[in-house]
Amino acid sequence: MRTVAAFILPLIIVLIPLYGIIKKVHVYEVFVDGAKEGFHIAVRIIPYLVAILFAIGMFRESGAMEFFMMALAPVLGFLGFPVELVPMAIFRPLTGSGSLGVMADMIATYGEDSLIVKMAGTMFGSTETTFYVIAVYFGAIGVRRVKYAVQTGLIADLAGIISSVIVVRILFG
Amino acid sequence: MLNYIWAGLIIISLVFAVTQDVMDLVQDPYQNGKEHTIEITFPENGDPDRRQTVRFRIQGHEGTFDAAWRPYEDNPEIIIRVDDEMPELWLNIAQDQDSNNKEELTAEVAAFDRSSGRADIVLPGVYYVKLNAIATAAFNMAEFAVTLAIGLVGIMALWLGLMKIAEQSGLMYLLVKAVQPFMRFLFPNVPKGHAAHGVISLNLAANMLGLGNAATPLGIKAMEELQKLNPSKDKATNAQCMLLTVNTASIQLLPPATLVALIGTGVNELMISILIVTFISLVVGITAAKIYERFHPEEEHIENIPDDQKIED
Repeated sequence: MRTVAAFILPLIIVLIPLYGIIKKVHVYEVFVDGAKEGFHIAVRIIPYLVAILFAIGMFRESGAMEFFMMALAPVLGFLGFPVELVPMAIFRPLTGSGSLGVMADMIATYGEDSLIVKMAGTMFGSTETTFYVIAVYFGAIGVRRVKYAVQTGLIADLAGIISSVIVVRILFG
Repeated sequence: MLNYIWAGLIIISLVFAVTQDVMDLVQDPYQNGKEHTIEITFPENGDPDRRQTVRFRIQGHEGTFDAAWRPYEDNPEIIIRVDDEMPELWLNIAQDQDSNNKEELTAEVAAFDRSSGRADIVLPGVYYVKLNAIATAAFNMAEFAVTLAIGLVGIMALWLGLMKIAEQSGLMYLLVKAVQPFMRFLFPNVPKGHAAHGVISLNLAANMLGLGNAATPLGIKAMEELQKLNPSKDKATNAQCMLLTVNTASIQLLPPATLVALIGTGVNELMISILIVTFISLVVGITAAKIYERFHPEEEHIENIPDDQKIED
């Protein structure tokens, strides 16, 4: 597993430009063009990060986080679901940049090599901001009655949340 | 929904902080205003009227500690260097005091006996710890958010640059062929060869590569194509619900740029777990959508009339 993992990033970084050259893309110009967006996106997410991070920071410092974790621990512990992941599971379907804030807070709190952060990262990468996607996709075509789209989207998210915990535990636990 | 959760976090924080602080006022765990007796040892020939470094013992406690003696005329002070050997109460006060320098305790000297070096001192009062803590946390985290976002710029630029190349070189066309066979199964009501098939394949392929910028417009285009087949303009069809489901539960070959930037090179391990998890959630999502479809039967769209003429008003 470690060997496979070690190859992934270098391969992506090399193969994508290589494929671009084969397809006669002006790889350098296109790269720079795309890279410019990095700055814009970083700046654009600042308000969202501030909103979520300060609220979670307050929640943690007030002792409320500890209280709710203690209250939820018996139930979730019985199911084998780590309590620390609850904020991520709540925020992920609602806001992409916000759950990025949750992710950053967890890295700062638990360290980036911890199992919890790996679970949260897998969760973040695997599930979508379902409510946002529904709003954008159906909003664009003016459909207001979305039938069961919310349910199926959330069922898929839930499956992603639960299997993140199990898969990470099996792979890295 | 998000509004309530967000506001809830802030309000609950305040409630918890106020409750804790009121309990502190009643129980007085820091024993605010209490006089502690210490014995100060001045250096040889030391004059207690001058500022100097001294050592002292706390009555009823082991060990000697460092402090700076400040014999100001109206209210003399002693600045104590915090030491792990001190009584727990003192350490708690040092930790939770208002001052930002947690390494020092500035105590007022209430009474001082020159001959014996005995002094009664009052440690700083500690009030409203939690209220101060949540305010500090709010400010610190706001600052952290900006440092964090700026710190993401580099890797984000690298990743988005690569993704732009992937997009321009048409890397997603490689995946389109892989997606195609499932189109009939996923969207049985969309006529064979309909324009929607092509756009949906592209949308799903872009999604799998984490090309958010390309996936969203393609997804909207796909929705528009499906809308042409929709007999009741404001109610979603089963095909549209399926498109939404496979979009939210798409297999993720490459993670989003923000995650890459946040986790750094550790992301290579996560790509494996993300691939497996997204496969599971895709299967679950499609199954769920197929089950819901049973309860919302639709007539098959009529194939022989060109859709444009059929639907357009």
